[in-house]
Amino acid sequence: MARRTEKNNTRTNTGLAPLNSNTPVTQPRQKRKNRLGEIEFVDYKNVELLQRFINDQGKLLPRRITGVTAKQQRAVVEAVKRARQMALLPYVADNLS
Amino acid sequence: MAQNMYDMLYILNPVLTEEQQKNEIERINAFITENGGSIIKVDTWGLQKLAYSIQKKRNGYYVNVYFNAPGDVIVRLKRLMEISDNHLRYLVLKFDAKMKRNYEKTSSTPTEEAQA
Repeated sequence: MARRTEKNNTRTNTGLAPLNSNTPVTQPRQKRKNRLGEIEFVDYKNVELLQRFINDQGKLLPRRITGVTAKQQRAVVEAVKRARQMALLPYVADNLS
Repeated sequence: MAQNMYDMLYILNPVLTEEQQKNEIERINAFITENGGSIIKVDTWGLQKLAYSIQKKRNGYYVNVYFNAPGDVIVRLKRLMEISDNHLRYLVLKFDAKMKRNYEKTSSTPTEEAQA
């Protein structure tokens, strides 16, 4: 477990904002935080939300980093893929420019 | 006939004039209503930048339609979208229980207005 949090700490600095910037961060970033809360459905049209689950290249982040439940992660994955089909999110993003 | 609730998002060709866009949206809506469906809400997002270019186009005119319709309409609706050159992409989703709950939660005010 200790190993896990260590790993997580190094990864939390990847520019991932908390779900709601208004919510105060109560814990020192030790535990991974479930940024979706109790949400059961992820809308593919909510691009702002989905962007937190992909990296700069447009790749999906693993659950180890997103910190959501398995069920929620599946919903996120489905939503991101739908958003990609509709050109709301990129399949490949090269932020070289 | 049993009606289902659907959510359709489609991208119109940005080359179309405003009038053509309007006609196209109306054509789709008319198709749904003529086949025993009913429109709940049409949400035009307008011209938006695409995440990647489709048919060499960098922008697209997004239209989001919520509607009720019997299931057999969807097949024909999809065919209509495939044939049309005016549509770059489309996605039709049938509402399941989770989606419905989410929809009611997020847009409780507009649906109330629609019913009133």
